[in-house]
Amino acid sequence: MTEKLVVIGAGMASGRMLENLFEIAPDAFDVTLFNAEPRGNYNRIMLSPVLSGEKSYEEIVTHDAAWYEAHGVTCRFGERVTAIDRSRKVVIAPNGEVPYDKLVLGTGSSAFIIPCPGHDLPGVVAFRDLEDTTAMLEASSGQGAKAVVIGGGLLGLEAAAALRLRGMEVTVLHLAGHLMERQLDESAGYLLQKDLEKRGITVLTKASTKAIQGEGKVEKVVLEDGTVLEADIVVMAVGIRPAVSVAAEAGLEMGRAVKVDAQMRTSDPDIFAVGECVEFNGQLFGLVAPLYDQAKVLAKTLTGEEEAFTPKELSTKLKVTGCDLFSAGDFAEGEGREDIVFRDPARGVYKRLVIEGEKLVGAVMYGDTADSNWFFGLIKDGTDVEEMRETLIFGPAFQGGGSVDPMAAVAALPADAEICGCNGVCKGQIIEAIEGGATTLGQIKATTKASASCGTCTGLVEQVMAVTLGDGFELPKAVNICGCTDLSHEDVRRLIKSKELKSQPAVWQELGWKTVNGCHVCRPAVNFYLLADWPLDYADDPQSRFINERVHANIQKDGTYSVVPRMFGGMCTPDELIAVAEAARKFGGTLHVTGGQRVDILGIRKEDLPAIWADLNAAGLVSGHAYSKGLRTVKTCVGTNFCRFGTQDSTGLGIKLEQKLWGSWTPHKVKLAVTGCPRNCAEATCKDIGVVCVDSGYQIGVGGAAGMDVKETERLVDVKTEEEVIEWTTAFLQLYREHGKYLDRPYKWLAKVGLDWVKEVLADADERAALNDRFEVSQSVYRKDPWAELAKPEPAKSFLPIADLTQEAAE
Amino acid sequence: MQLKGDGIMDVAVDTPAKTFIQVAEIWVPEGETLVHGGGSYGDLGAFEAASRRESFAKGEGLPGKAWAEARPVVLKGFDGSYFKRTEAATEAGLTTAVAIPVFAGKALKAVLVVLCGDDANRTGAIEIWREADGLLMLDDGYYGAAKHFEWVSQHTHFPAGQGLPGGVWASETPMLMRDLGSGYRFIRADSAGKAGLTTGLGVPIPVPGENTFVLTLLSARGTPIARRFELWDARAAKVGKDGGAALVDGICAREGALWDPENAGNERRAEAWQGSIGKVLGSGLPVVESGKPGLAAGYSSMVALPIYLGGELAHIVAWYV
Ligand SMILES: Cc1cc2nc3c(=O)[nH]c(=O)nc-3n(C[C@H](O)[C@H](O)[C@H](O)COP(=O)(O)OP(=O)(O)OC[C@H]3O[C@@H](n4cnc5c(N)ncnc54)[C@H](O)[C@@H]3O)c2cc1C
Ligand code: HEM
Ligand code: HEM
Ligand code: SF4
Ligand code: SF4
Repeated sequence: MTEKLVVIGAGMASGRMLENLFEIAPDAFDVTLFNAEPRGNYNRIMLSPVLSGEKSYEEIVTHDAAWYEAHGVTCRFGERVTAIDRSRKVVIAPNGEVPYDKLVLGTGSSAFIIPCPGHDLPGVVAFRDLEDTTAMLEASSGQGAKAVVIGGGLLGLEAAAALRLRGMEVTVLHLAGHLMERQLDESAGYLLQKDLEKRGITVLTKASTKAIQGEGKVEKVVLEDGTVLEADIVVMAVGIRPAVSVAAEAGLEMGRAVKVDAQMRTSDPDIFAVGECVEFNGQLFGLVAPLYDQAKVLAKTLTGEEEAFTPKELSTKLKVTGCDLFSAGDFAEGEGREDIVFRDPARGVYKRLVIEGEKLVGAVMYGDTADSNWFFGLIKDGTDVEEMRETLIFGPAFQGGGSVDPMAAVAALPADAEICGCNGVCKGQIIEAIEGGATTLGQIKATTKASASCGTCTGLVEQVMAVTLGDGFELPKAVNICGCTDLSHEDVRRLIKSKELKSQPAVWQELGWKTVNGCHVCRPAVNFYLLADWPLDYADDPQSRFINERVHANIQKDGTYSVVPRMFGGMCTPDELIAVAEAARKFGGTLHVTGGQRVDILGIRKEDLPAIWADLNAAGLVSGHAYSKGLRTVKTCVGTNFCRFGTQDSTGLGIKLEQKLWGSWTPHKVKLAVTGCPRNCAEATCKDIGVVCVDSGYQIGVGGAAGMDVKETERLVDVKTEEEVIEWTTAFLQLYREHGKYLDRPYKWLAKVGLDWVKEVLADADERAALNDRFEVSQSVYRKDPWAELAKPEPAKSFLPIADLTQEAAE
Repeated sequence: MQLKGDGIMDVAVDTPAKTFIQVAEIWVPEGETLVHGGGSYGDLGAFEAASRRESFAKGEGLPGKAWAEARPVVLKGFDGSYFKRTEAATEAGLTTAVAIPVFAGKALKAVLVVLCGDDANRTGAIEIWREADGLLMLDDGYYGAAKHFEWVSQHTHFPAGQGLPGGVWASETPMLMRDLGSGYRFIRADSAGKAGLTTGLGVPIPVPGENTFVLTLLSARGTPIARRFELWDARAAKVGKDGGAALVDGICAREGALWDPENAGNERRAEAWQGSIGKVLGSGLPVVESGKPGLAAGYSSMVALPIYLGGELAHIVAWYV
């Protein structure tokens, strides 16, 4: 006799289960199918292209009326099952009860809605079913309509791209630092964001939604940082929750969803479950591949065949036309893991394989997914890849080559591309000069003036020559920053500016880094170049800094730290000095008067740093940055205030300079001094920048040193007023910030670019003003006390020792 | 709006109705001249004979102009124009021609010319969009009887990512839209719906130089541009270095949807020189076939247009009537 099978939910999992079931045993069951949606089974994952208009709803219907009829399925569509009475073995629904012998739950999930204020306003939609899709389409039909999509995962991005195609202004808000952070690493996330931005979609990462506002309907979204975004609709795509209330009320054993065994049986032997409403071995499911496996198992279980469900590795793709990405497995960085990275900046390709032992454990690819299925197979099967390691990244065809041509970019530059920024020489002129007979760099310099000034474009000029002359020109070997790249510091600096690279992932990708995230050598340099060139766009990355800069103190040989408060121009009040002394006493520090006219509190334990900073802050003292590649101290003598030889107010000027310049990051540390007369008590002539006051005004010297190398400053300029000193000094510092190679002190930088070039640039009043402006923009971000930030309770925790026994004992 | 279940018919109609495009022909460069490379003329035998005798120098006639100016060209009304076959065309009742150059980098591979007849009952649209100041503007277009839609289109522009033209432009990929009648950039959608335009095929037309062009073919129910559309992906980044192409999207009045989500990564393949798509892969040239047995789903003629990206064959779009 045929048994009565009732199925709750006509979803992707239950639909597949029925197909399998009718294949194995066409007449074993008399099926009743309930669905809360007023329609039968369709391919839910294809709602994204339906939303975009690239598919029609008719195309994605998987089972039509004829199919149900042919298989004798009684359809109860548009009816939400409200209860299951297990004692009477009936399912209860609005239009009447239905008895069952066997019951299958396939109720799927519902979208999770962030319970922020305004989440229930009309216009807040999820993306789950055809109704949601239609609601979004309706909203998109107004001229200039705006959508805010909350959630930069798979679903949110597919919705965003679709709504953009439909003509909306779309902003995606994403809480994490990069898109699809659970499936992609930073580099792939960067490329994806770039691709979406190319489609006119605005992407805001690290964006936390505070509230949704509007009168009677959605009008705007307010973020935690105060940003306000206009919106006609808000699409919530932040996650899903299994739809299991009916199952829970029926008293089935629950975890986060309905618990099933490997045969898809719930705690009631006559009730089964498949799909997203299922929890198996503590695991939930959100992609269709494992659901189809479950469907197969359940069809067999129902017909009495042996079969067991085992979860497999999953892979991810994104259904946005023209965005080719793939990810599978685990790609977290870790001990014993090795990365193989391939990038092709010109084609926007990034591929990364993660190998652990002899096995491929993860793969992320963007822009070129031709071999993704093959890699996925290697991961799933746990294949030993040791033998192929060298060529693995090139895929099954492994045709060795595929290496990036460093010249291609230069060759592709149009003739009017500017090569030498200083003298405004473009590629075409250089080629003309070469065609006119110039074959050496010297000749090019002489005929075009390219690379004749600051010299930062030398590498580029040489590459143009190599491209144009072919074998006739031997490219001098540039010194690369480190093994992560073939580019030199100068190349990287130039490209960060010209290609407008504003994040580390952008540098790694667009400049073809060979590693995932750089290394301890290049990261600090790139971090500096980015913050110096894009102060407003780029956020300083403490993880790319040396320990001293990260903890804002100098580590000493016994592992304790030294704390040096800033004393502007070497001056302090008695109260400040008392505060320093008291702090030293409280935290067991030793006091030392430094060569830079500061008081150094030595011997402070790491965990005490936030507390001592808080005490010093309370007394009005800020960090002296004695640890930084940045402005250190401005040393002064007492000048006209007290000294009988004094010609100007050297102390006052020193204080002004330090107040202007403090907090700024530079390629290496920068020390200043202002001395009141040529007797030079402040030793200004061996500083990076030293000002010597004279009767007629001020002599500004630069490029001094007093370390391993001892060097006297060279005269930059003589000026009459304090304002001019400050203007010139700032301009010089900014020029050094913009052009210096990381870890070159000013004297080393000057040796490369030549003091004459610097003088020439700074002699131009407009240029000086522009440099001052750019410096101020940067200082709007960096003229801040890092101690004050880190002394707050939350960040202060990071200074605690790793194994905190006091806390463990308390718990 | 409503997504109603009229079935696949909405998208590509399999009725013996008149088609919007009556002639499709290919011109291939031989030295400095374009020579006839095949075509589909239906029952317009005299025009076909006249065409087969023809050739064009660079800059000469419509195909020559598309080559010389490196851009798609729309020509409406042949009398007194540079069109060389005016007499034969007029006799055949053809009034409009669109020439689409196929460039691989700087090299011209071929020029595809499609011709339409003027008829108050023929609706459809062939549009050329051109980028200016960061927006796509209508460069020119032919709309048959869809006069209101023509006017609306002339007064619409598309930013990157928006609508069929903007979507094609931003993704550098051909796209096949099923549903132009809803939300397709507001007024245009409304008007498209009224004109009965349902399906849209958008194709990037790369040319040497700075210009960006997107070609759109909008198909109406009564006089469809085609009854079957196919999009093939031939990029090495998708199909691997060994070449070939994968059928990534398509819709057919006889076979229904031509895509299969279960098969992502294992789509129907074409290899060089196998079948009509294979011919495009092998030769790199557009292909027009007619009256030949063995065309997909038993259609009588087809046009396959290769699309190059950075000098490499990247996609193939094909349409069948
Ligand atoms: C827009 C979108 C894109 C997606 N893209 C992908 C993708 O690319 N790849 C991928 O692997 N996955 C994708 N997914 C996820 C995938 O769709 C789901 O994993 C899958 O649909 C879950 O299947 P299911 O059968 O468990 O539930 P569903 O398909 O959600 O079906 C559950 C059905 O049960 C009904 N129901 C619920 N409660 C009741 C009740 N009490 N009474 C009656 N009926 C009820 C619901 O109305 C629903 O129709 C996507 C999802 C969406 C929404
Ligand atoms: C663990 C090693 C070191 C620590 C913790 C340390 C710390 C400091 C501190 C706290 C100051 C006072 C800073 C200031 O006034 O801004 C200082 C100044 C100075 N340090 Fe060091 N230092 C170290 C190694 C060195 C080395 C190796 C050199 C030489 C190569 C050096 C050269 C100087 C000089 C020249 C000054 C004073 C410059 C001036 O202001 O005139 N230091 N150092
Ligand atoms: C407490 C005393 C000092 C400490 C702890 C100290 C610490 C340091 C450290 C750590 C460096 C290398 C720093 C870096 O790479 O950032 C350094 C560099 C230097 N120090 Fe000191 N320093 C001290 C005193 C002095 C004094 C008294 C002088 C000279 C008067 C001096 C001159 C220099 C110079 C010139 C350099 C730079 C060398 C170079 O990079 O070219 N330091 N110091
Ligand atoms: S430098 Fe000159 S002004 Fe300054 S303290 Fe020394 S002697 Fe006096
Ligand atoms: S001079 Fe030498 S010993 Fe003294 S602090 Fe500097 S590095 Fe240390």
